[in-house]
Amino acid sequence: MVDSPKHQASLHLFVERSAPTATENGILKQVASGVERAMETCISQYGGLVWSIALRYVRDRSSAEDLVQETFTDLWKSSKRYNPAIATECTFIGMLARRRAIDFARKQNRQPTLEPLPDAESLPLESSDPSAAVRCESSDVREALRHLPEESQTIFSLHFDQGMTHPEIVKKTGLPLGTVKTRLRRGLIEVRNILRRLEGDGEPSTSPTS
Amino acid sequence: MSELSEWDRFEELEAGRILGDLDDLELRKWKELSKSLEGSPDLSMELAAAAVETDFLQEKEEALPDFLQQRLLKEVLAQSPAVAQSKAGPKAGSGQTGNAEIIIRPALWQRVLGAKETAWAIAAALAILFAVTQFSKQPNKVNPEVAKQQLEGSASDLLKLDFAGLGDYKTLSGEVVWSDEKQEGYMVFSNLPANDPTANQYQLWIVDPTRDEKPVDGGVFDIPAGQSTAIIPIRNPLVVTNPQAFVITLEQPGGVVVSKQEVVVALAKPS
Repeated sequence: MVDSPKHQASLHLFVERSAPTATENGILKQVASGVERAMETCISQYGGLVWSIALRYVRDRSSAEDLVQETFTDLWKSSKRYNPAIATECTFIGMLARRRAIDFARKQNRQPTLEPLPDAESLPLESSDPSAAVRCESSDVREALRHLPEESQTIFSLHFDQGMTHPEIVKKTGLPLGTVKTRLRRGLIEVRNILRRLEGDGEPSTSPTS
Repeated sequence: MSELSEWDRFEELEAGRILGDLDDLELRKWKELSKSLEGSPDLSMELAAAAVETDFLQEKEEALPDFLQQRLLKEVLAQSPAVAQSKAGPKAGSGQTGNAEIIIRPALWQRVLGAKETAWAIAAALAILFAVTQFSKQPNKVNPEVAKQQLEGSASDLLKLDFAGLGDYKTLSGEVVWSDEKQEGYMVFSNLPANDPTANQYQLWIVDPTRDEKPVDGGVFDIPAGQSTAIIPIRNPLVVTNPQAFVITLEQPGGVVVSKQEVVVALAKPS
């Protein structure tokens, strides 16, 4: 085995960029360009994410499998509409998966009164409108969450991290259902606003939403 | 109700819609406001929700089951425009050869890169498993030596670099040939010690600054005992358009997602 400091001279290849790099969001562009193996790579890269999101909303694994397939089919159709200036690939794909999963869960729960979310085909992601841009880098998301009031952070964690439903959060925290809904909704608005500010000038809000 | 407060109300309802918790009354109000207020909401709030969810999921993501991955490859890809395109033949100047020999493997480095979206370790492990499986399944339809000669004779953009052994591998020699146009390449090694695949494997990394700041995982390979010279086909998982260096490391069986660079075996780059 070799583990010599002499090797260090060559290792800069792993950590330095010797020229301007391509965008970090290359797979969807390749998918949109019709590069066949980009699609296979996409499945390998993001299949776990899509599968995990499906399982959060649909407890039945067989239905979750169908959801994953539908999401990737959506993705192929939507890839041309993806704009890396608006969102990261991960967020974009997560949004499609989430949208599909929520729609499916609504149908399962027999809630036909709810309008489905817009079709992927209607995504306005080609827009260059800066107000739409929330690229959602992970570090920014964490930063945004830290700016929420403590109670909202707890509810966010229970909902988004542990996958709890509203009634489950009520049972866990003892908070009224209305409070849980309000904290989640206002928290989401605040997170979006902070992400916008972070995208814009790098400075988050200094006044957390109550 | 003022315009501002109506907008605030609409935003709150929009958040509820994205969270999936609107009741019938709220939904009616959401519809009413979405019609009366000028402009439609952008996707920013939905993207924010997706970002929060995916960020939390990074730490507990479940790997895509192998059978489901195979199903997706079969059924989803069959519907994709790219497959239709490839069946119709390669696009002129696209750089895609449509070469059935090319193995599709996951881009693990990029996987990690996007990973601020990272920590998808389970999925990455699956990807490695998939990669290794694919690598080992690849039928040797064409003798690598013959294939290399054919590439050298036909590629108009052939890149040829010498490998230099590092550290304990100083006696190693070799070269790599690569064609961007054909997306095909071969490595030739002499005096690269045989490895025990159950203990470790050699792994190729392709440094292509035009596609990523981190090297592209080029897959693992073995050198059988008693083989002083070996020709290894490069099975790049992604399109490589401007390789600046090829690096060989020694890693755990199956390869790694991120190399700790503890054992860097050889390097090929322009002098």
